[in-house]
Amino acid sequence: MHMLLLSLLAMPARADEDQAETCLRTKIWDGYNTGWAVRTSTKATLNQGGHKVYLVTLYAGNDYKVLACGDSNIGNADIVLYDHTGKQVAIDSSNDREPSLSYTPQATDTYYIAVHASKLNDLTKQGSVATAVTYK
Amino acid sequence: MSMTRSLLPAFAVTSLVFLSLVGCSGEAPVETPTAPVVTPAPAAPEAPPNIAIADLEADAQNVTLVPSPAEMQSAMEKAGIANGLSKLVTERQLKMDVQNKDVVAVRTGVVLADCLLTVKDSPKDKLVERLNVVKLGLNTLGAGKDLPATIDDLTARINNDGISRDDLVKELDEMHGAVIPEIKFEAGDRAVPLIQAGSWLEGSNLVSAAIIAANKPDAGSQLLRQPQVVDYFLKYVQTEGADKAPDAVLKQLEGTLMKLKEIAAKPALSADDVKEVKAQTDSVLALL
Repeated sequence: MHMLLLSLLAMPARADEDQAETCLRTKIWDGYNTGWAVRTSTKATLNQGGHKVYLVTLYAGNDYKVLACGDSNIGNADIVLYDHTGKQVAIDSSNDREPSLSYTPQATDTYYIAVHASKLNDLTKQGSVATAVTYK
Repeated sequence: MSMTRSLLPAFAVTSLVFLSLVGCSGEAPVETPTAPVVTPAPAAPEAPPNIAIADLEADAQNVTLVPSPAEMQSAMEKAGIANGLSKLVTERQLKMDVQNKDVVAVRTGVVLADCLLTVKDSPKDKLVERLNVVKLGLNTLGAGKDLPATIDDLTARINNDGISRDDLVKELDEMHGAVIPEIKFEAGDRAVPLIQAGSWLEGSNLVSAAIIAANKPDAGSQLLRQPQVVDYFLKYVQTEGADKAPDAVLKQLEGTLMKLKEIAAKPALSADDVKEVKAQTDSVLALL
């Protein structure tokens, strides 16, 4: 399955997206060893300060971890989780390109995940961030 | 005595300073004491800017919106209603050699959900049969060659006892969550949400059946209230399918989603609501 995922994702992806996805895939499979499973993984290409927002349904009782990997042009990526009213409920603003945050919802509801390219190393290029929602 | 005691340390210090100056004289410049170098602490990383709710709503993408069947199962286990889940899965003979690809996509999603939800305790031949139906569906959808080839590989390993059921769960989970969303490049944009719709409908049907069987109607509010998911599928069926020839399955799917939207809008679900979810999803699945 690893090879299939690689070949499927590699076809339309640019080189930088491949780098971010390879990093994320490693995290996903590391997670399987500790009981985490993957809901969805996706990717985005962003300018400095740019962000992508994903709508996500989270089940009460499940533990969730949102993982992201930036490519080498991402100096700092951040993740923020908002509830359906727009209130921040979890944030990873650590200064690196592999942010993650954990959250256990008290009620099944819809949330927003915002992934930020807070700092790019080379402003003349874009940066790719691959993101996965995992659960257990 | 006290004077001697107090003078001794001062004498010792003076002597040390004198000796050190003599010892260094002419050999190296005398360094004057300097303040220790203080390395500034790294600045705390700036938090990303807050995004207003209106912008979140406007910008949000739906790619991560729909829960996977395995995730649904995990939530059911935590709610104490997952016992005997695989026995609730209905036997279906779903044909994939039909012309309407939307219907094929929904059917593929249903069978994929059945695979995921029964993988741990399904008999080998039944599991292989279901995987083959998923493969046929993906072939009909034009999902490329790699994914069907992977299913062939999995079925071979199942038949040879070359893969544990736990590892199979991971393989199918990743297939559903990470690989199938990518088939939009081959099968078109409509295929992925309709596969998801099939999986979600089957999952919701099983959740409602399990809640009724366990007589735990309170779990309905926790597991079945997903208005945004219903909206997402509904808009797809109504807008994207508007130019398509009417199909009994899609018509029924639209009607079921309308009803589920109405139920999901309630602040809490009653036992009757859960029964209605079961009846509505039954009616779509029966048409497949």
